[in-house]
Amino acid sequence: MSESELTMAAAGHGAAMEESPYGMQSKKLAMWLFIASDAVTFTVALVAYGFLRIGSPDWTRPFQFWPSIANGLIMTFVLLSSSLTMLVAVRAAKSGDKHKSVQWIGFTILLGIIFAGLHLREWFHMFADGWGLFKNPTGGSADFGAAFFSVTGLHLLHVISGVVALAVIAWGYNRGRLDANHVETTSLYWHFVDIVWMFVFPLMYLMNAQ
Amino acid sequence: MASGAVEHEPTMGTYIAIWAGFLAIVGIEVFITYRHPETKHLLFILLILAAIEAFVGLLYFMHMKYERKILFWTIVPITIFVLFMLDHVWADAYRLLYLRLTP
Repeated sequence: MSESELTMAAAGHGAAMEESPYGMQSKKLAMWLFIASDAVTFTVALVAYGFLRIGSPDWTRPFQFWPSIANGLIMTFVLLSSSLTMLVAVRAAKSGDKHKSVQWIGFTILLGIIFAGLHLREWFHMFADGWGLFKNPTGGSADFGAAFFSVTGLHLLHVISGVVALAVIAWGYNRGRLDANHVETTSLYWHFVDIVWMFVFPLMYLMNAQ
Repeated sequence: MASGAVEHEPTMGTYIAIWAGFLAIVGIEVFITYRHPETKHLLFILLILAAIEAFVGLLYFMHMKYERKILFWTIVPITIFVLFMLDHVWADAYRLLYLRLTP
């Protein structure tokens, strides 16, 4: 039996199957394909925002450095740091240190919850100031609210989904039902959410700073 | 990128350096924003910086640099092609020509 056949047999696919040209498990490849499609989804949302912005002669730039941009910077720091903690978790999982891996996934979840909390707090402050999906208290284009809450809401939904996914993976991994590959595959999603924020923050916050 | 999947990974020092680099780029973005450049110039600069962050994140945080080359060539050029067509070529993109650019 060749080395590749042995690899596939060890992965539970049997010796008769060809090795994947990607040299990875199907769930990891599926995650990459999902990420590619999700990248298109976010791009569509951001391009739609661009269309609304260019098409609105009375576009509003509501964000002052304090509190909005400063809050966005803290959120960016938190989310970037969560990618770092996730990297530690994956390394620990690959080296077989289950306890350490679950612990660092826990830190990642905590940072994700902090990010979501900061985001929701900002939203509720904006609602209190009169902002809404179709409301602009400054009298400018109401499209700002539609674009801002849609794009940031889509991203927030991904963060919350990621927190839930990480919790499920950590629970399964801790109980021995899942392995290090599941942790690594889920980490791809988490890093992707982080990368998307690298576009959302400058385009939705900095481009709308006063 | 490796021609075959390899187990080598960056050290934690590399990860921390990249993390610090990302934070620095975000700081640069804020600094440039408050220099109040023209909107189209600001957009261009912010997109370039964000693209750099995304590419580095893809290669190192998501480990694409350490996967087989075929993964990169399957995913990245096709995704960029679709996004380019979506933004610049397909019918709706031409509506941009008839919209106004706010200052």
